[in-house]
Amino acid sequence: MKKETLIAVFLGLLFGGIVAVFISLKSKEIELSTNKVIAPPKENVSVPNLTGIKMESLELSEPANNAIFEKNTIHFKGTAAKDSLIIIQSPIKDLVVKNIQGKFDLEFPLALGENSIKMVVYPKEKQFRPQEKFIKIYYIDSEL
Amino acid sequence: MKITIKNCFIVTLLYCLLANSIVMAQTPSIEASSSPTVVVDKDIQQLKDKIANKVSEIRKQNNKAISGFVLKIDGNSMKLSNTEEVNQVKFDDALTKVFKVLGTTKKEIKTNDISKDDYAIVSGVIADKVITANVVLIDENFLVDSGKITEINKEDFNIKVLTNDKNTYSLDIETGTKQHMVNIKTLLSEVVGFSKLKEGDTVHFVVKKTGTEKDNNYSAVKILIIPQEYFIK
Repeated sequence: MKKETLIAVFLGLLFGGIVAVFISLKSKEIELSTNKVIAPPKENVSVPNLTGIKMESLELSEPANNAIFEKNTIHFKGTAAKDSLIIIQSPIKDLVVKNIQGKFDLEFPLALGENSIKMVVYPKEKQFRPQEKFIKIYYIDSEL
Repeated sequence: MKITIKNCFIVTLLYCLLANSIVMAQTPSIEASSSPTVVVDKDIQQLKDKIANKVSEIRKQNNKAISGFVLKIDGNSMKLSNTEEVNQVKFDDALTKVFKVLGTTKKEIKTNDISKDDYAIVSGVIADKVITANVVLIDENFLVDSGKITEINKEDFNIKVLTNDKNTYSLDIETGTKQHMVNIKTLLSEVVGFSKLKEGDTVHFVVKKTGTEKDNNYSAVKILIIPQEYFIK
């Protein structure tokens, strides 16, 4: 192979490499500029200092799981974190309440037979995970 | 002199106490002598009440309720199966009452009206893993759960929900599905349409379980949405 041919091939490869690097850098820049930021701007994000904050856990003193009742209303009694959002759901009722005080005493209706009930507490500090309790209770009319 | 006054006071006090106790002790003997049968009747009644209360207490303690789908049923017994266990239920001809729950009402039926795959709730006394049924209720089985909406299919009116215990449910939102959303300002539950649902919202749902569902796909009875805005406000 002639010396001129070798120089031409070498120059060709070098030029090609430079063009390839240039194109890849440029495309990255274009990609970054067209991407949308989906997170809220940094100045709007307030990160509360949660170190040292102890969250009160959900304690349900009444009703007990698998309990049998002869009345069609019961009371959910217990304690949960202050200002948390309490949701109690059953096939016949959805109850949404803000737990202003730590203690709660909430009246809840029962359907005849089995009542599958889920209680979820969403703490005021949204970084904490919600707490859940699932219970099955039975309303068997005393006249049956 | 002081000691004499003190002694007098003690003697007077003792006398008063003694006199009072004599009067109190005599009162029932007067009653007893005037109407002995009334007192005896009262005692018997009290004893009866005590026994009745104790019996009711013991019955309540031993009374349990179980539920499950009917696996097998014959003349005087059936097997119930739920996600945790299989239970044996015995019928008592004189005692067992069977009802079919129809919404808010109930209709009395017979044990031979119960069929395989029915969902039964049984209340009765349990002994040696066998429950003797006082009451059997044939009802529907509901599943109540909650999670985050991960996918919304607007063509098929279906949502995918991921629960906290990492279960994925596929829920069909039918025309009969009750759809509510929590107003983040008032915390009141408001009726909404399917178009208001967003991926990332939290959903509390109730579905009917028939035991024949596939791939965790259910028709939703009702849903309650907590919009994601509640968690970022």
